[in-house]
Amino acid sequence: MSDTTEISEERASHEPGHRRPRFGLSGGDGTVTTGRLVIRITVLGVAAALALWAAFPLVDQGNWIGLGILVAVTALLFYIYLSPRAIPAKYLIPGTLFLIAFQVVPVIYTVTTAFTNFGDGHRGTKQEAITAIQDASVRQVPGSTVYVLSIATTGDPASGDLVFLLTDPGTDAFFAGTAGGLRELPAGAVQADPAGKIQQAQGYTILTIGQAAARSPEIAAFKVPTQAGALYSQGLSRAFEGAPQQTYEAGCDCIRDAVSGRTWTADESDGSFVDQQGQRLAQGWKVNVGLRNFTDVVTDQEIRSSFLKMLLWNFVFAGGTVLITFALGLVVAITLNRPGMRGQRVYRSLIILPYAMPAVVMLLVWRDMFNTEFGLINRMTGLEVNWFGTPPTAQIAVLLVQLWLGYNYMFLVCTGALQSIPADLTEAASIDGARPLYAFRTVTFPLLLIALAPLLISSFAFNFNNFAGIYLVSGGGPFPPDNPNAGATDILITYTYRLAFGGAGAQYGFAAAVSVFIFVIVATVSIIGFRRTRSLEEIN
Amino acid sequence: MTATNEVVRLGSAKGGWFRQFGWRHLVGLLALAFSLFPILFVISASLNPLGTLSSSTLIPPDTGLENFTKLFGTTSFSRWFLNTLLIGVLSAVLSMFISAAAAFAFSRHRFKGRRIGLVSLLLVQMFPQFLAIVALYLIFAEITDLYPAIGLNTAWGLILLYLGGALGVNTWLMKGFFDTIPKDLDESAKVDGATHSQIFFGIILPLVVPILAVTGLLGFINTVNEFLIASVFLTDDSSKTAAVGLYGLISGERNANFGVFSAGAVILAIPTVVLFQFLQRYIVGGLTSGAVKG
Amino acid sequence: MRLRTRRDTPGGTPGGRLPAVLLAGILLAVAACGQGGAGTGRAASQSEGGGTLTIWTDDKRAPALKAAADRFSKETGVTVRIQTVPGETRQVDFVTASQGGKAPDLVMGAHDWIGNLVRNGAIDPITMTEDQKAAFNALALKGVTFDGQIYGIPFALENVVLFRNTDLAPDAPESFEDLVAAGKRLKSEGKVSEVLAFPVGQNGDAYYGYPLYTAGGGYLFGQADDGDYDPGDLGLARPEAAEAMENFARYGEKGEGVLKRSIGTDNVASVFTGGKSAFLVGGPWFISEIQKAGIDYDISPVPGFGDTRAKPFVGVQALFVASKGPSKVLAQEFATNYFAQPDVALAFYRADPRPPALIAAFDQAKTTDEDLPKLLSAGEGGDIMPAIPAMNAVWDPWGKAIAAVVGGADPAGTTQSAAETIQSAIE
Repeated sequence: MSDTTEISEERASHEPGHRRPRFGLSGGDGTVTTGRLVIRITVLGVAAALALWAAFPLVDQGNWIGLGILVAVTALLFYIYLSPRAIPAKYLIPGTLFLIAFQVVPVIYTVTTAFTNFGDGHRGTKQEAITAIQDASVRQVPGSTVYVLSIATTGDPASGDLVFLLTDPGTDAFFAGTAGGLRELPAGAVQADPAGKIQQAQGYTILTIGQAAARSPEIAAFKVPTQAGALYSQGLSRAFEGAPQQTYEAGCDCIRDAVSGRTWTADESDGSFVDQQGQRLAQGWKVNVGLRNFTDVVTDQEIRSSFLKMLLWNFVFAGGTVLITFALGLVVAITLNRPGMRGQRVYRSLIILPYAMPAVVMLLVWRDMFNTEFGLINRMTGLEVNWFGTPPTAQIAVLLVQLWLGYNYMFLVCTGALQSIPADLTEAASIDGARPLYAFRTVTFPLLLIALAPLLISSFAFNFNNFAGIYLVSGGGPFPPDNPNAGATDILITYTYRLAFGGAGAQYGFAAAVSVFIFVIVATVSIIGFRRTRSLEEIN
Repeated sequence: MTATNEVVRLGSAKGGWFRQFGWRHLVGLLALAFSLFPILFVISASLNPLGTLSSSTLIPPDTGLENFTKLFGTTSFSRWFLNTLLIGVLSAVLSMFISAAAAFAFSRHRFKGRRIGLVSLLLVQMFPQFLAIVALYLIFAEITDLYPAIGLNTAWGLILLYLGGALGVNTWLMKGFFDTIPKDLDESAKVDGATHSQIFFGIILPLVVPILAVTGLLGFINTVNEFLIASVFLTDDSSKTAAVGLYGLISGERNANFGVFSAGAVILAIPTVVLFQFLQRYIVGGLTSGAVKG
Repeated sequence: MRLRTRRDTPGGTPGGRLPAVLLAGILLAVAACGQGGAGTGRAASQSEGGGTLTIWTDDKRAPALKAAADRFSKETGVTVRIQTVPGETRQVDFVTASQGGKAPDLVMGAHDWIGNLVRNGAIDPITMTEDQKAAFNALALKGVTFDGQIYGIPFALENVVLFRNTDLAPDAPESFEDLVAAGKRLKSEGKVSEVLAFPVGQNGDAYYGYPLYTAGGGYLFGQADDGDYDPGDLGLARPEAAEAMENFARYGEKGEGVLKRSIGTDNVASVFTGGKSAFLVGGPWFISEIQKAGIDYDISPVPGFGDTRAKPFVGVQALFVASKGPSKVLAQEFATNYFAQPDVALAFYRADPRPPALIAAFDQAKTTDEDLPKLLSAGEGGDIMPAIPAMNAVWDPWGKAIAAVVGGADPAGTTQSAAETIQSAIE
């Protein structure tokens, strides 16, 4: 290859021996040269500028905790990069900051929801729930007038007191509605368009739509009190007389229905308003429930009966996927890793193509290929297997799909890894007359494992929770007729998903609790695996 | 390993070429066939004006480029495509660098909390992501209020978010490779007066170019195909990535737009193949012999 | 007062933001801890110009919506941002965005989202005048009515019908038995390979199964006098449910072989368009595909057994006003005065041929499209799809039960298990 020489030349210049003159600029004791000082100042300058940029909105909003954190982080960065010590930290800090921000914090947030009833109907605060209940119960007063509305003010368009200028379409009477009530306007002081919408009125400035838009939340909350309730705006051109049928009463800490007289009392342990019969209002709020979600998981009959079986298959699936993808990827990588072989580049580029295709759609294509009657696989092989109809075939099918999706990745990584194995080692082995298989077993494979063992563990961890790989292919099925919740290819995460989101709404708290259990299991297994690689790590 | 067995078995009978290369081509072709045949359906659907998801017809009764013209004519695909490239390249390069730096620290330095750090990196990845999306969204909703430039519906916001995952798997992958480089190399450089940054940039990085290329490529592919988070973050048509935009086409009614979708998927695979072609020389190029001397 | 807002409690809100903040120590956490301040910074950004209105819709309808949006922009100076969010995730994303204070002002979706959206305080009721109400198809208006309040502006109706290939089957079957007989005759003549293209799928599909279930005498939820569904009265748990489910066994893989799991929503249309079957049970969303394939078709109601009636689910597509959108009054204005217009409804119809909910638009569209009255009349005897949250617990277990029975499982036992699973999920 033509670029070989280039690279090896470049490499040659990187030999420690060649480089020594360049190192001469800096003292071995870590003293700083001018050039590096400039770089350092530039980098830290940029960091300071960014911090400054980030600080303004925080000050603007009076977010002092945020500002404190910002200052602390900036100070930490300056300390780490100015101090001659803390060398590893210099390399770790950028990634760590991102990791904490976008992975650790969300995970911790999620784990904390395991101690709450967070889910559909229980998302916000109690105040939000009360607002939602009251707003949803505002009904038009029967037989009342729907007015034509113009929104106006007596003062400045941006901040003056709001006034609803109203026209009764039945009588063509004009009114001005303020927070104080409704007052009729003399017809002479008002100009209205044919539809009755007031265009001009003495003493009032009519807001343009832009001005009204800017005050949207204010207008939406504005009400003109009337005898039967209040006038509410419905958009910018209509107002109706309505009244909330259900209102919160602080005295009894309850919601009262004005028509039926029913009351629902707040239940702080459940985050709901409950009536005497135990009926809940749909809108609840988020509360701490302690360990309830965890005890629910442990005591759930459903989970208990299927858990072990599913855990076992989960291990088979994750472990099997890693094993077969790695094996096939390695075999193909080794086979193609032969200098002088023609078409290598073409093979390699095309073999990784599955990895470049959107996985979701490929999973659907595979599902279609496994179709009993119309699928390609049965038609090509002449079989009549109902692939997703029986447990063993469904399990084989999902593993096969994973093999297809994953071996390319392993192939790529192995190909990369093979390059880092010193050729003189393998050459030495083959010159010794060792058979290729022997050389592979004694030299290549152990070295590969050093490089790849950690990857295999993390690949296992990924596949342990490979939601899409199951859900989009088999949906967890086949399911026994008497249990639509636990299928033969269900792994814990798909099962969790079904339990937590398949009920009458999403139960994030419960899902988080199950996830914590799963997490403990995978983590334990992985740590054990990790310990076994410790010996590998220190090989040189 | 079957391949190696084959050598032994077939070796003398078929003569030199087969022994050396022939069987390799055989394995290569088989792997190729396995890799490609499901993709052929997607390509076939992209050329089929009726474009349905069905493996029953591999050769469409009627071929044409209608789906491609529709893709570019009626959707903002070219915009999505550019967004994808921007986000993909930037986050791949940045996360490659971030994880290489971290791998260097983990491989070459011994410090307090090193093992715990490594294990934690792995553990964080094990938490099911679909649950954390709500938390991520709430965080970014707040960022959008404070800094709209890096908030929801921005490429930068998404890139920052992806960088959160940079340390995860990549650091592990790279650390494994860094470990295969003999320590004597940097130690002798240290004796020569090299600083840690000179060792990192001057000695280690050039030696791990293959794995840098691999992680760069993997990072790019992952970003290009990432959909779960991006679809929640990007709702503005002009800010979408190709994956998000394309899935919008088949949401709900899978069949109706499957041909157009397939056309997009085929085009979306092109940058990956091109990038791989470009990186291949670094992944498998002439760094084989004498790379490690110590 | 016992109520405390998020801002008042930097420490111990249920979400546990404090530990998060402590651990974060970075830019991001800066943001996380400011959560309580949501809203303070938002109003300022939209004061300039005429305000902004954000609408979430799907890919197909975005261009049709744009015409209405442009008119609104022109007349009011408001900038309208139309964003497309995939249908599968739009409801969940919308609820999450509402919670994060980043909700759009309007969202398009199916009427059966209403229960969940109301429960999460994400949408507001809409008040209409009697004249406005009278302009809509009564069934559509019923669909968007929840708990006595109207929650959305309906724009299209949809329901499952029977398509037939008129070259192969010129006459609409009177009953399911007729259909099977005609299909079998065609099959024995070698003209088709399937009696019927009916979506079952490996894990079942309750949406398509519903008409046959009701034709067999089953019901899903009991209805109160006002038409609201009662989650406490699950029809699947009743003895007649098992009887109704027996039809799936009778026509299933171990029976007549008319219903089979190898045909699902993914491939059902291609079985029909490929000429493998003369009949297709599907919705109006298949029409464009059937037309593209050049098949002469006609539409009739899904037939019942004997003289019973098969009742499909009737779904209503609607526009909802978000409770927590930044420009609610603009949203209400747009929804009631600009969106609920015949020309807008017609644009939607052209983007996706489903019967418009506005009577005027429907009357105009039907002059050129004879499918429309057939689609509508096939749905007239149907049941409004329940919008109560409990419905979410029904789809998956019941679909699987249908698939299992089609595959040969015992109808009574399977239905029983599904009902128990559903009941325990509803609680």
